[in-house]
Amino acid sequence: MGDKIKAFWRKISWAWSPESERESSEAIVKNFWLHWFPAKVARASMDWNYSFWLGTASAALLLILTVTGVMLMFFYVPSTERAYGSIKDLEYAVSFGRLLRNQHRWAAEGMVAIVYIHMARVFFTSAYRGARAINWVVGVILFLATLLLSFTGYLLPWDQLAFWAITVGTSIAKQAPLVGPTIQFILLGGHEIGQQTLLRFYVLHVFFLPVLALVLFGYHMWRVRKDGGLAVIERVRNERAMAPKATPKTKSYSLFGLTPGTSVQVMSSTELEESDQVFSSPNMSRRIALVFLIVFNITLLAALLFNAPLEGLANPSVTPNPAKAPWYFVWLQELVASTTVRMGGFTISGALLGGILLPGFLLAVLTLWPWLDRSPLRTEGRWLAPERKRQNATFAVATLVIIVLIMVGVYLRGPYWRIYWPGQPRPEIPQLY
Amino acid sequence: MAEKNESFEVKDFGWLVAMSILFFALVVVGFWIEFSTEWGPYQQEFPQLLGHYGKVEDARDFRAGIKQIWIPKIGVTDRCITCHLGYEWSSVLPATIAEPLKPHPMNDWLVKHEFSRFGCTPCHGGDGSATTVAGAHQGGRGWDDPMLSRALAGQNGLTMNEMIQMRCNFCHRHDAATPAMEEINLAKQLVKKKKCMVCHVVEGSGGTTGPELTYEGDRNPELLNFAHVRGERTMFNWNVQHLTQASVVSPHTQMPDFNMKPEESRALTLLLLSWRRLPYPPEYIPDPEVAAAAMQPSPTSTATPTPTATPIAR
Amino acid sequence: MDADRRKILRFIGKGSVLAAFLGQIGAAGRAFFPNVLYEPPSRFKLKRPNDYPNGYTLDAAHRLFVIRQKDAFHVISAICTHLGCNVQWKDTEFDCPCHGSRFNPDGTVISGPAPRPLDWFATTVSPDGFLEVDSATDVARDFRLVIGGKGKA
Repeated sequence: MGDKIKAFWRKISWAWSPESERESSEAIVKNFWLHWFPAKVARASMDWNYSFWLGTASAALLLILTVTGVMLMFFYVPSTERAYGSIKDLEYAVSFGRLLRNQHRWAAEGMVAIVYIHMARVFFTSAYRGARAINWVVGVILFLATLLLSFTGYLLPWDQLAFWAITVGTSIAKQAPLVGPTIQFILLGGHEIGQQTLLRFYVLHVFFLPVLALVLFGYHMWRVRKDGGLAVIERVRNERAMAPKATPKTKSYSLFGLTPGTSVQVMSSTELEESDQVFSSPNMSRRIALVFLIVFNITLLAALLFNAPLEGLANPSVTPNPAKAPWYFVWLQELVASTTVRMGGFTISGALLGGILLPGFLLAVLTLWPWLDRSPLRTEGRWLAPERKRQNATFAVATLVIIVLIMVGVYLRGPYWRIYWPGQPRPEIPQLY
Repeated sequence: MAEKNESFEVKDFGWLVAMSILFFALVVVGFWIEFSTEWGPYQQEFPQLLGHYGKVEDARDFRAGIKQIWIPKIGVTDRCITCHLGYEWSSVLPATIAEPLKPHPMNDWLVKHEFSRFGCTPCHGGDGSATTVAGAHQGGRGWDDPMLSRALAGQNGLTMNEMIQMRCNFCHRHDAATPAMEEINLAKQLVKKKKCMVCHVVEGSGGTTGPELTYEGDRNPELLNFAHVRGERTMFNWNVQHLTQASVVSPHTQMPDFNMKPEESRALTLLLLSWRRLPYPPEYIPDPEVAAAAMQPSPTSTATPTPTATPIAR
Repeated sequence: MDADRRKILRFIGKGSVLAAFLGQIGAAGRAFFPNVLYEPPSRFKLKRPNDYPNGYTLDAAHRLFVIRQKDAFHVISAICTHLGCNVQWKDTEFDCPCHGSRFNPDGTVISGPAPRPLDWFATTVSPDGFLEVDSATDVARDFRLVIGGKGKA
């Protein structure tokens, strides 16, 4: 019986546990799950200390979010009357519902953090040079998609936090020059937050943005391979004083080889010395399984230990005090609250300056960075190369400022957005009885 | 394969096994948490209790699981009875049984306020959808309808019974007086005696010197000035002190100091907080004249002075 | 000749398909702009002038304050001009809980990130005697609706 199942599985997925080098290579070609890997990868890219496997960790989180998200869709009702109740049901009446929601919540917040750290890693290792610049841009868009997914998801429970997060978030959009009010109008489906708004954010959250993220994720992965793998390979190549050389056209590529020039595999790692390479299967597949399991475990542990927050039912006539954005947007809230400039009778709103112009500028610089960066190419694939001191310092300082702003917003801001130092008593928010 | 692989291959394999075992362990913990509910032990105990008091068949028919009273027309989903299993068994179970299995006291008013029509939270407050003590009894941050527990009532110088009268008045708002609602009855008399409606609008009539009070119970506590309020920063406290000495609590107010007795200002506060916008359909609203009639022949109850029945009183 | 005709037909064909797709996309996009709104209109009635006491009265449902000084009325929006939270009236000033903007009793900014004063809504008395507010029209800060004779506060 077992053999029959095994044989059937092989028929559909070409599963393989390689027992020889030949089988290792064949596994990549024949196994459905492995075919997007190259047959061999650089030994250096297996190093924990180079990439920390943050991209893989993000993929693992995306998987958790997709699965738990689809599960949650069976229980959530995107209506202003029933949304809050359906979350309460998940909390208290659906078997494992609380665990499901906690996993989804912590995986989402974890993904925002991990994707950013992944981006920082790519920056600090100068891994966005040359052809990899395109993938850097794709990565920036994926980071944005992650933020938007998190933000739209934040609104769905229809609690006070959700309601006032939409109010603040869409009011920021309204400050955009010329198109602002129109954007806010489409987002809200009116001038006020209501049923239309909830439905729009719901569809964005469960269909539009996930599809965008998954398609871009696929392209991101494909591109990593087509750009020759991780940038650490360039370091190895530099160390071995090897010039990149064209690979001979393979049989399959000759089919596409109608155009002049080298094939897309030009930067492949296959040209590395035999000793600098390892087989993808089972080395990389095992490592990926390991990273996935680590991420599953951390998320599950967090979901078992901490409950996702849920405030009172949304109430348009009572603004919570203070109304805080989710932590990954608190730095923006800090900017929005403190960047209103007054020159004589002329005022520039903080929402425009801190909510649109400054983040827009940061985003533009981030996207175009590969073309602004003039550091020598030999820094590719090296952590904190001394030749890139200025670039690395810029990124580190920007990150630090954002972290400080987040800390201030999350821990120090109290009622009326005033600063309260640790230990300083905060005025109690009055209660009913 | 090359021995060089050994370095990470063996380590990876070891970690992979460890992580797999940890994963399994965490899932087991997840199951354990899911199945070790707060209500589980009570539901095991309850059928034994029924059996002990001679209800063997009912004990046998008892099915464990989350139990709820669902009354969509008044927005009630009360799962309180998942733990408070004895609630409808006062004919069998003695009142000495400890909470949460203790039967609901068979008060006179339960005859007209059946569990199946009212549930639990319309009278007691709290979060009916919760199946944990913390969730149901206290509620989370921003929770504006906490359960009216003995402790909470005690903080405000009242008994639980007195505090709950506030919620009775959600429906009994238009009774001139209602049996067993001494606090609210006293407050309604005070409204007339102190002539509140000379200055305040309530339900469309009254003076406009002061703010309208029709939905006073819905006010956001945060909008009140607590600078001159002693003790806890609660809307209850603010009202009690404001009714006693308005000039102290709101220095610029035109409202006179009524110098009420503490029990009077507490009763009036209960009445004010009961004035809310509510989802109850007409069938839940009693006829004020019937309530007044019920008050009339009360030769035994000297505790409640019988007010003159004026149906339009608030 | 034949080739030319083919070219023209191809151009027409491609153009039609392109235009059709653009039309479809436009139609889909247009659907996102609602034609009717399930929200109160920008011009709405409040209560009768004499239903308001002197001073600041919050109308939480409409998110505004009705301010009465004897016979003079004006209406100030309760929506913070910064990012749309509800401001709170604190006896001598308006405070916004979201980002700490503070406003004078006439709605002008004391401090905080709010870029402009709170809106003053155009206010009239409707033919049937109610205060009528037009939230789409901002009025000057000296605007007062004076109710002659009847005001007895």
